[in-house]
Amino acid sequence: MNFQLIGVLIRLRYKLLWAKTRTRNGKIALFFAGYLLLVMVISLVAAGGVGAGMAAIRGGKGTLIAGVLLGGIYGQAIVASVVLGFGMTAIFSETELRRFPVRALERRVTRHFIGIVDPYWLLFLALDLGIAFGLYLFGAGSFWPGLIAALLLFCSNYVAARVLGMLVDRLMMKKGGSAIMLVCIMLLGFLPATLGPVIQRNPRIQEIAFRLWQSTPPAGAAVAMTQPNLAALSGLGLILLWMAALLAVLVVLERRPAKVRVVEAGKVAWESPFDRAGAIFGTRNGPLVAFWLRFYSRHNRFRTIYPLSLPLAAFLQFFYSRQVHAAGGKFAISLSVFLILGFVGTGQFAVNQFGYVGGGFRRFLLLPTGAATAFRAGSYMFIMLSAALILPAAVLWSLFVPARFDPRAIVMLVGATISSMFFFHGIALWTSLLGPRRGNYNQSFGNDLSFAGNIVIIGGMLALLFLPQVAAKQWPNAITPDYWFVAPAAAVLAAVFYFTSLHFATAMFRGKRESLMVLLEGKS
Amino acid sequence: MDAIRITNLVKRYGAVTAVENLSLCVRPGRIFGFLGPNGSGKSTTIGCLTGLLDPTSGTVELLGQAFDSENAAIKRRIGVMPETLGLFDPLYAQEFLAFVARMFGLDEATTRQRVTELLDALELTDSSKTLAEYSTGMRKRVAFAAAVIHSPEVLFLDEPFESIDPAGVALMKQWLRRFADQGRTVFMTTHVLETVERICHDVAIITKPGKLVWEGDVTLLANDGSLTYNGQEFRTLESLFLQLTGEKYTDLNWL
Repeated sequence: MNFQLIGVLIRLRYKLLWAKTRTRNGKIALFFAGYLLLVMVISLVAAGGVGAGMAAIRGGKGTLIAGVLLGGIYGQAIVASVVLGFGMTAIFSETELRRFPVRALERRVTRHFIGIVDPYWLLFLALDLGIAFGLYLFGAGSFWPGLIAALLLFCSNYVAARVLGMLVDRLMMKKGGSAIMLVCIMLLGFLPATLGPVIQRNPRIQEIAFRLWQSTPPAGAAVAMTQPNLAALSGLGLILLWMAALLAVLVVLERRPAKVRVVEAGKVAWESPFDRAGAIFGTRNGPLVAFWLRFYSRHNRFRTIYPLSLPLAAFLQFFYSRQVHAAGGKFAISLSVFLILGFVGTGQFAVNQFGYVGGGFRRFLLLPTGAATAFRAGSYMFIMLSAALILPAAVLWSLFVPARFDPRAIVMLVGATISSMFFFHGIALWTSLLGPRRGNYNQSFGNDLSFAGNIVIIGGMLALLFLPQVAAKQWPNAITPDYWFVAPAAAVLAAVFYFTSLHFATAMFRGKRESLMVLLEGKS
Repeated sequence: MDAIRITNLVKRYGAVTAVENLSLCVRPGRIFGFLGPNGSGKSTTIGCLTGLLDPTSGTVELLGQAFDSENAAIKRRIGVMPETLGLFDPLYAQEFLAFVARMFGLDEATTRQRVTELLDALELTDSSKTLAEYSTGMRKRVAFAAAVIHSPEVLFLDEPFESIDPAGVALMKQWLRRFADQGRTVFMTTHVLETVERICHDVAIITKPGKLVWEGDVTLLANDGSLTYNGQEFRTLESLFLQLTGEKYTDLNWL
């Protein structure tokens, strides 16, 4: 194994990371990321470790509590990396590493070592170590077994996320993969709620579930951290077994790369539905809207996310109606769902509109139109696609959700969707200009967004999810159909915001186009 | 009226000067070779001439009118094959060319006719592949087709012949000659000096940072057998280029 060369490549990765911080945006992102990381590490290490240690000593259930905490961290790390794509970006691809005189094994080690020392994963290492040290400090655990268990658990967590990520990636590339993925996500949401009462009622199932859980890496780590001698060794052995199995699966998956799905085959039509849809926007914007529709219709991630918007909305409606005793009741939940519907299908792409065009961006500037016409047309396309979801959503809601049909409720919900659609697509215009990031068009998985893009998408989703409930707590009568007229008014305000943003953002586009070109062509 | 007139063009990126006080004129009906070593500012100059970049100072006139990046009327009359090609990878060649044609205002029937003819002539008839799946040479052909599809009056080509096979290069050269014979103008950069000697009428040579060091008629090479600079005669464009750009031969004893 050529550790010297591997070391050089790892240093290069951090040099590249450091080079990004030389830009103004990079410095801002670094500051915020560092600040957030510090706050999270301090608070979570303290809360998790100290809390677990104290509870363990007082309750005499150190192993169980440590296991639950470690399991929670393990699960969170996997969900955040697989669903949101954090810590999953390949800095050097296999092909890039082939340029260097390193063998297959060395390339694999380099890729994964670079992956595991990503700041995102180091946060989870800090959490695992926090629990181990917490238990040790409060006398409920041993130092060395705890330290080794935390390190092994962290490594197995990374490998598990990689394996699951690759499996999801393969699933998405298959025809019908999106539908299967949707069923999996829904099962993940429904199962705890459905199985919880069944397990509570049936001690036999509880016992089986507990035994199954005991054979997981977090449970093994909990045993290693809290039990003496042989028991600790058995815990470490369990994690090692998992590691070996996961690594074997990872190697098999990497050796047999998935074939990229050919999105469209057959003859190319002169007059396609894209052109007909684009024609709605007139001769000036029409070809560009048609272009954007065609461009994104072949984007694997877009083809997955956009069609999932309505099923996801239905799932949220159903799931939260069962799970949460929210202020404002079911109507507040419906309002949240309709607000989210305004941008959930397109938001991830609208906040980084040019992120996937790469060198094609240059073409927009050569066209005999104003420089910002392509920018404007892209935004119209996203608005059009979001708007297309409103009618079916309203019809489905009317058919399935309310006890008694109330047209005012429909007006309020539709108004809410239009409001969030205009508001977030207005924000997205600014994010596309001020926080762009070069993405990989062919990657059907991962997080290609900039820091600002992530804030808008994740922050926006969370804010909209809880906004109606917060409003219902403050003004209990406001989140009812009696106040239906507020939603159309909000929609008008949001539309004003959108068109004002469109005006000023397109004006700004001209000044930003050179730096955008450099970034999108990968020269910055 | 000059087809292209550049006056005191300057392009700076912060403290770095990419083009320094460049002034040039290109007459209609000429094939103009714009030469210089790597990083001398050729592509930056083309960027300023085609609306990709805003000059820091100086003026650009195309077809007798002042030009800037928002001048759509002039953009409609020029064709550009940029250095990075500017292709949209997920599209098929036919879709891409039809999109460009429509943006340049061609009607439906003309678009179909020209796209079909260009794809056929440039041997891009494999409709099962997207642009991402094309070879480098095929991508160059598509970018060339996109530059000429609207039959522009001035054509800007940034290193057009690299990666294209000899048959493709011969076809493109033939088209460019006919293009110039019709009174239209070609402004091109290339590092293949033999090609410049064969097809260009005029040549400008720049050095870092975008500084004009020589401008002249290279057809003299075929007629008189030499080019002159400071009273010195050069038998080939290459020898003149090397003299002007100060390219040195450095011997590395380990190589």
